[in-house]
Amino acid sequence: MELDAISQPELEQLERLGGADVVVGILGPQHGQDGVAAAAMVRETLAPLSKVARAVVVCNNGTQSQPSVTPEPAGENGIPAVFTCNLPAPGAADTPQQNISQAYRSVFAVAGKLGVRACGVVASQPQEVTRQWIYHLIQPVLELGFDLVAPRYSRQKMEGLLNRSILSPLHRALYGEQLQNPVGPDFGLSGRLLQQILGQSSEPRHGGATNLLASTASTAASGGFQVCESHLGLRTQPPTDWTNLSSLLAEVLGPVFVEMERQAALWQRIRGSKPLPRFGCTESLSEDSGTVDVHRMVESFQLGTQNLLEVWGLLLPPTTLLELRKLARLPPEQLRMPDDLWARIVYDFALGHRLRIISRDHLLRSITPLYLGWIASYAREMETAGPVEVESRIERLSRAYETNKPYLVSRWRWPDRFSP
Amino acid sequence: MWDQVRQALSHSMTKMLSQLASLLPGIVALIVALLVSALFAWVLAAAVRRSLASIEFDRRVAQWGYPGLAEWSPEKSPTLLAARIVGWTVMLIGFLIGMSGFDGTLTSELVARLFAYLPNVLAALVVLAAGSIIARFLARSVLIGAVNMNLQYARLLSAGVKWLVTVLAVTIAIDHLGIGGGIIRLAFGIMFGGIVLALALAVGLGSKELVSRSLDREVSKTSGQNVQEPVGHL
Repeated sequence: MELDAISQPELEQLERLGGADVVVGILGPQHGQDGVAAAAMVRETLAPLSKVARAVVVCNNGTQSQPSVTPEPAGENGIPAVFTCNLPAPGAADTPQQNISQAYRSVFAVAGKLGVRACGVVASQPQEVTRQWIYHLIQPVLELGFDLVAPRYSRQKMEGLLNRSILSPLHRALYGEQLQNPVGPDFGLSGRLLQQILGQSSEPRHGGATNLLASTASTAASGGFQVCESHLGLRTQPPTDWTNLSSLLAEVLGPVFVEMERQAALWQRIRGSKPLPRFGCTESLSEDSGTVDVHRMVESFQLGTQNLLEVWGLLLPPTTLLELRKLARLPPEQLRMPDDLWARIVYDFALGHRLRIISRDHLLRSITPLYLGWIASYAREMETAGPVEVESRIERLSRAYETNKPYLVSRWRWPDRFSP
Repeated sequence: MWDQVRQALSHSMTKMLSQLASLLPGIVALIVALLVSALFAWVLAAAVRRSLASIEFDRRVAQWGYPGLAEWSPEKSPTLLAARIVGWTVMLIGFLIGMSGFDGTLTSELVARLFAYLPNVLAALVVLAAGSIIARFLARSVLIGAVNMNLQYARLLSAGVKWLVTVLAVTIAIDHLGIGGGIIRLAFGIMFGGIVLALALAVGLGSKELVSRSLDREVSKTSGQNVQEPVGHL
């Protein structure tokens, strides 16, 4: 794993440290915490938790020049000694997803080296890094014996759309676990799960290094680890870069589809899904502000249907193409993407990714107009909906993914028989 | 005198017969080579046909983005086309081997030249194949990228890229074959320059309004969505 990112003196200090109970990764270049402040915050957070003597905080704010691996003094009444370790600032050329993935690898490497009992990683936007977040990610691991604590955020109806439309329902249908955010980016892990992830990451694999964000929840599901969710509160979304939406989709969906391929033997046996234990309190949200320009998204969807049918035709069966053509002919206000159709589209793209029918990058980018079509349909449907209606809408979509899972299994097992 | 005539006739007859006799082994060798190569061609073609059929080559060819190949193929089957190409190539090689059996200077030189030319043909074929694959890959990249950027003329851009790369590959292949010499290069330069100039004029003058409308729409869409829309993806 990636210990190369850590400077030699800090590595030597880690060697001398020998072991720790907890590692907390606070990632993101502008989290506003220098090493010392982060260590103080973590020390206060961990103080109420039992049996934590030593903790290490890994930051990637690039403050390499600051004194590192310096223990925050342990106080009385079991307050833990906290050490800090700084990673170099993320490269400007890398995308946010790549930066988080690399930083994740470094945090896991440090945690694995120190043989920790729990590891918490906060990789959301700067303003969210609070004591409560760290506490809610670490406490279920240390005191309740869970192996993975996945985040649950309070979000407006037009936030977390990729999670709502693909990631969460896909994870639920595949692995039978109802997670709101299966790819984090904030997680709490037990030492046992960490060792399992580190073990499989060191195995030689096709398709390059494992993406830890995509593989953490699926590894927990496949290994029979105890998983729960913690309400972390409001998570501010970074502004959407519409010009690079296809890159975002490719970066997020690519590793998820790779992971799906890796776990194929497991998920083909799973039927149905179960809700997971949840901790923490939900935060009430203010009214949604701003409007969504659905016309632009419908335009993109229609343009895609006009021009990309020959590409989609290599991945999707004729019935799906026919339905897409019909949808594209509808006036924008009448566009509704049926849940079954959407679930099958996602499954067909996952299969196309596995079979490498076309270049994987082309495949992942060509889903963008379809995704925008889904957003437009969802935005229209949820225009006046409240949080309860939104949740039940997403529940219906997730059930559609589960209902259509036999279709995925059949196509996965006999792709030629079902070939478009 | 008649003796001399008879002698001359008999001499020319002997000479002709001996020349014919000297050709006979070559002819027999040619026939044997053709028969053996026909046998080999039949076996190889059958093997190719069977192995391609087992991997569903016809369907895969269409999947790889070459559905038009079926139209050119006998019985609309690229598998059959590949098998026939293999068969006729073996037959041609057998014919060349048979021709070299004549041991004549002309045939030997012809065969030597043909064999010396073969690498050029192979190189040209490789260039064409690579050019076709690259053209399709780039065309698809441009098409998907342009659609994702909401450009109305995505297909036009994609077709333009595909034909530019294809024309470039064909020119390189013809150059490799040594056909046309400088004319091909000159023609390519004129054509390529013409296409670029035409595109520049089309974008700069003819499609000025179209492009500016499209760009305006992009800018307003991007800035508008960033400011107004409370949309988040992760």
